[in-house]
Amino acid sequence: MKSLALFLRRNRAQLLTVTVLLFLLVVAIRGMEPTDASVTILRGLSVAAVTFLVASGFSLIFGLLDVLNLAHGTLFMIGAYVGWMVYIRPDTFLDILTPICLIASAFVLLPLWDFLANRLHGKKVVNKLWPWIGMLVAAALLYYSLQAYPITIWDAGVYSQSPGTYSLMADTGSRLIPAPVTFGAASPMLVILGIIAGSILLAFSLAGLQTKNSSGQAKQTLRLPWTFIAGFTALLVGGILILLFNTPLTTLIVGLGSNWLFFLAILVAFGTGFFLGSFIESTLIRPLYSRPIYQLMITLGLSAVGIELVRAIWGRSEFTMPKPEIFNGAGENCPATSILGALRDHCSTIFFMDSRIRIYNEVLIPVVGVLVLIGIWLLLKKTRIGMVIRAGVQDREMVEALGINVRKVFTFVFALGVALASLGGILAGPSMGLSASMGDSMILNALIALAIGGLTSYPGAAAGSLLVGLLQQFIIKYGQIGITLPFLSEPFMPSPPLVPASTVLLMVIILLVLPNGLFGRKE
Amino acid sequence: MEPILELRNIQTFIGQYHILQGVEFSIPKGRITALLGRNGAGKTTTLKTILGLTPPRTGEVIFEGKPIHEMRSYDIAALGIGFVPEQRSIFRDLSVEENLLIAERKRGDLKKKQDMIFDLFPDLKRLIHLPGTHLSGGQQQMLAIARALVADNRLLLIDEPSEGLAPVIIDQMILAIRKLSVESTILLVEQNFIVASQLAEDYVIIEEGRSLKSGKIADLVNDKQTLQRFLGVA
Repeated sequence: MKSLALFLRRNRAQLLTVTVLLFLLVVAIRGMEPTDASVTILRGLSVAAVTFLVASGFSLIFGLLDVLNLAHGTLFMIGAYVGWMVYIRPDTFLDILTPICLIASAFVLLPLWDFLANRLHGKKVVNKLWPWIGMLVAAALLYYSLQAYPITIWDAGVYSQSPGTYSLMADTGSRLIPAPVTFGAASPMLVILGIIAGSILLAFSLAGLQTKNSSGQAKQTLRLPWTFIAGFTALLVGGILILLFNTPLTTLIVGLGSNWLFFLAILVAFGTGFFLGSFIESTLIRPLYSRPIYQLMITLGLSAVGIELVRAIWGRSEFTMPKPEIFNGAGENCPATSILGALRDHCSTIFFMDSRIRIYNEVLIPVVGVLVLIGIWLLLKKTRIGMVIRAGVQDREMVEALGINVRKVFTFVFALGVALASLGGILAGPSMGLSASMGDSMILNALIALAIGGLTSYPGAAAGSLLVGLLQQFIIKYGQIGITLPFLSEPFMPSPPLVPASTVLLMVIILLVLPNGLFGRKE
Repeated sequence: MEPILELRNIQTFIGQYHILQGVEFSIPKGRITALLGRNGAGKTTTLKTILGLTPPRTGEVIFEGKPIHEMRSYDIAALGIGFVPEQRSIFRDLSVEENLLIAERKRGDLKKKQDMIFDLFPDLKRLIHLPGTHLSGGQQQMLAIARALVADNRLLLIDEPSEGLAPVIIDQMILAIRKLSVESTILLVEQNFIVASQLAEDYVIIEEGRSLKSGKIADLVNDKQTLQRFLGVA
């Protein structure tokens, strides 16, 4: 009893704010028809789920690493585009898989390259110079061999071959896969060898760039666990096998159908995000931990580069992404009346409280959001790495003093955060559509959600996303039906610009009352 | 006797401040050595330099015959060095049990040690599921020491264990640290000379980033001149 009173007294500002918010929610719900209200809430949950996927990763990264990853929105967008490629053009995906495997295989052996580069003793000038020359040669090798490598890809400049057209065709069920490009005049053997040699030289030169070459250094011993060699072999052989069996594999993967392809797209988008995240952290962020301004600049720059890269490959125009068949049907039994019926008849909509709900947007996305919420919560609370993350958020130095390699955990958290954003991207693709700027509004939403919830608090990220999603959808709905206000002859209709403005306003009010956000801790 | 830890001409900078300007001492195995000196003399920085948290610019740190000053701090700690920092650094978001579990270097470390730990600090057993925030200062100090005991540490670096604690609790702490010294070597930073003299056999005095004097603490107790000059104890 006493502790309850203490809890109430300590958290009265939070409790008061939550009460007011709940009251406002009730008022907002009472102001419209029950059917409208239920749809609006579900839509709000959908927006909240996507926002949460971006915000939670952002907050994990900021909490542990103190890095404001301004490229997070762009990585969300890249997740959507990469997922689109796997989903709509699996043949292109298979084509680029081979060079990626070959390049990655060279980088798996980095410990070996490090060791060899350390062994290279020469004049100081030579030591400084050879990595750069090596990288130039590697870049030239990779450039020519990758250019000669055949990749069947879309052409954003030609309407009939643009990404949007392929999307439309996939939506109508006539998934069109163009004839594969062949090696042509170039010798396949030479091209493959060029890629392997180029990437090995690149990895070796990068390793050479990092060696300090201090004379007093103790002799290093080579530590190359068998898993690295196995990984190298698997990637190399896998890459070549994919090339050799490209045609049957393409037929097989296209034959999977849109449901399995979408599932594959989700996995690939998540994996790409994870890989990109660990790559960015270990190469670009790690040297800058003591210089926060440079981190901001590099992530901001990365975001611009990412957007332009996507525009260069996929073109500037926006396009849609069809939903997988299981959520896209419109048979005679649709809209379905129960979830089971919807799954049986592959309905895209379902009747819920006399209104139509889109299953993909308003059921699947929130469900995934909740699953991720629970999954990350379990990771944080029940696993050792989660324990280290929670401890590291508070005191990195002490965690290191216990003998734990925090840098590895940093890389993992950054990779996981980016992977969550990419997952959000591919999930939002079918409901939002794809555009190179889709990440911008998302990161704004996520930042507002985090400011509301408390920057580094995980439940805060969830609560903030929920508030942002619900508020936006209620404002949109009231923009259609109007709010009856006293002293006004006509109902007040919030205009579209008020939608983002309302969330900022909410953030301002909450931060005025609770400077650390809803769940933030006093510093 | 063979030293377990040896510092040779350590120079440490924090930012552009030259904090340690030549610290040299060695500590014998299996005993308690007290690092004495006034506020800001560089005692805490010395501990952090040993652990690689503030790596030395020049000089050598030798632990069990192995140079460790170029290693990363987590590798240094993993060699078997436990750290109990001045501000205790209990992880707030972790329960008492998790605060102990996180110090495991091998699975099951805590299981092996928990009887010894709870024997030393019976309070912790009662508090095991409480979050770190709910502990009193004394309990936090016990947890911080217990955390350093979970893994097999042959050297414990303990920074100001008596700071801010009630006399009764200090006595309890002294008892615990004495029990610990049976199994591991302890390097103790202590402002409170009375506490230090009850625990340690050897001492090193640090003044303005330099190690000035070392010897047996029993000799120091009667050396009023040194005590007054370097430690401000009359």
